[in-house]
Parts: sequence; structure tokens; C-alpha cells
Amino acid sequence: MFFSEMTARDTLKRTKQKMTEYQIGILEQLNAIEVDAHWFRRVFHTFAASFLFYYLLPDEKWINLGKIVLPIIIVACMAVVEYQRIRGGLDHHRFFGLRNYEKKRPASYLYFGIGVLVLFLLFPQQIAIPCILCASFTDPIIGESRYYLGKKRAYLIGFVVSLCFFLVSWYRADWWILLLVCLLGATGVLIGEAKKLRFVDDDLMIQMLPAILLLLLWQGCVALGVNILPPKMILPL
Amino acid sequence: MIEKEKMMKTSTNRRNESAQKLLLRLELWFAPLLLVVPLIVSLVFLGDWYVKGFIGRSASYDGELFLGLLLLIGNLLFDIPFLRSLRMQKKKQ
Repeated sequence: MFFSEMTARDTLKRTKQKMTEYQIGILEQLNAIEVDAHWFRRVFHTFAASFLFYYLLPDEKWINLGKIVLPIIIVACMAVVEYQRIRGGLDHHRFFGLRNYEKKRPASYLYFGIGVLVLFLLFPQQIAIPCILCASFTDPIIGESRYYLGKKRAYLIGFVVSLCFFLVSWYRADWWILLLVCLLGATGVLIGEAKKLRFVDDDLMIQMLPAILLLLLWQGCVALGVNILPPKMILPL
Repeated sequence: MIEKEKMMKTSTNRRNESAQKLLLRLELWFAPLLLVVPLIVSLVFLGDWYVKGFIGRSASYDGELFLGLLLLIGNLLFDIPFLRSLRMQKKKQ
């Protein structure tokens, strides 16, 4: 009886020890991948700024149709892939650069895609362009400066960078509109980045929050009889 | 018993290694696209500004100049560390 108890206890102890070793091994492996994927994720973000090529596409009937249909098809394909991955139909390890918390929820690239799609289809380019620029550049800049300067300074840098993006995009507007739009937009970006939600990624929030704030401002001003939108920044080829 | 465990460990390690190699390959496949496309797009913006804005003397295209420069500088800033990390990872492999 005593011996059998000892053996059972030993086995349990040994199993526990092995489980811990196994867990540590897996964590090390994941961390290695996370570290390796660090710059890959950053470059993926900055790459997304090239989607602005969309506004250069010529204004012709069939191209305009493609401008609506193609982005929807691309995002739908991404959604199908993500659905399959979450269901287990596709191996999680085949996706490079996914974070641990993205295992059981849609990955951030899908949120980014949805954000860009909504901006392209529902918002004027004067609002969409700075929001896409912020998601592409401000997010990785905040992420990088957080490592070296801490959270507060990183957010301050992110705010200033976003402010510059809105300034560049609305430079043809009146000074009071420019001031208002820059402050509102940059604040929206900062809240979108800082506020972490469980099921909504910051890649979507960082685009949608400033866009919605600016849309409300624009529509509010239109209701008052003032159109604050500056001329288009990108003209079709 | 111990031999079995050893064999299991080696097979798990092999699987992890092959997963790592597969991921690195994927990253390498994506790298040219991630690096070249933004540069091409920024050059298209700059070219359009040069032809229609600078030569055509139209200030309506100044926005494209700003965007082209932003895309170019922003991407280059992040491309350099990315290329460095790729080289490091290749060496590790």
C-alpha cells in the first residue's frame, strides 16, 4: 500500500515536472517566433500605407466597379481564411507573426483589412488618408518607442506623429478647421491605440475612431451650412 | 520508457524545427513584396507630382508629393531593421 502510494506520488511529481518542462519549452519556442516576427509585423504595417494607391486609380466606369468589388472580395477571402484557422482547419503555426492572443480570435490583419475597406467605401479620402497613415505608421512608431521611452512618452510621440499626418492631409483647409481636425483626429488615434478591447483589435480602432469623429464633425458643420472638407489630396491618374 | 521519451522529444524538436523553417520561408517569400511595393507606390506618387504638379505647374498635386515622401521615408525607416533581422535569422538557421 505504502509502496504503491509512493509510486503514484512519484509518478505524479514526475509528470508535473515534465509538463512544466514542456510548457517552458513551448513558451521559449513561441517567444523565439515572436521576437523573430517583430520587424516583420512592423513592416507589414508600413506596407499597408501603399494601399493609398487605390485613390490613384483612374475614374472610369469599370474601374470604379472594381474599386468596390475587389476590396470586398479580398477582405472576404481573409475572413474565410481566419474562420478556417480559428475552427482548426488551418494550422496556427503556418501563419507567421501571429501573437499568442490571436490564436482563438481573428488576427489583426483581418481587422486592419476591414478598417481599410470601410474607409475606402464609406468615407471621403480626406478623412480616410490620414486614418490609414496613422494605422500604418503611428501604430509601429508607438510600439517601437514604447520599448525605449516608456508608455507615456510613446503616446506623446504617437500623438505628435498623428497630428502631423492630419496636418499634411488637411493643409489646404482653413486654420481653425486644421487645428480642430488635427486635435480631434490625433486624440481619436491615441484613444484607439491605448484602449485595448478583448475582441476588437487596435488596428481597427486606430482607423475607425478618428474617422468617425471627423465624419461627425464634417456632417455637423454641413448641417450648419459650412463644408469643412478641403480639396482632394490624391487625384486619379 | 526513457528511450521512448527521448524519441518523443526528438520528434517534437524536429517538428518545431520544420515549423520554424517553414515560417522563415514564408517571411522570405513576403519580404520582396513588403519592401518593393511601398517604394514603387511612393515613386508613382512622386512621378505623378513631378509630371502634373511640377512640370504642369499645378499646386493641386502637392499632396501627392507629401504622400510620396512620407511613404518613402516611413517605409525605409522600418525596412532597414527588418532586413537586418532577416539576415540575423538566416545566420541563426
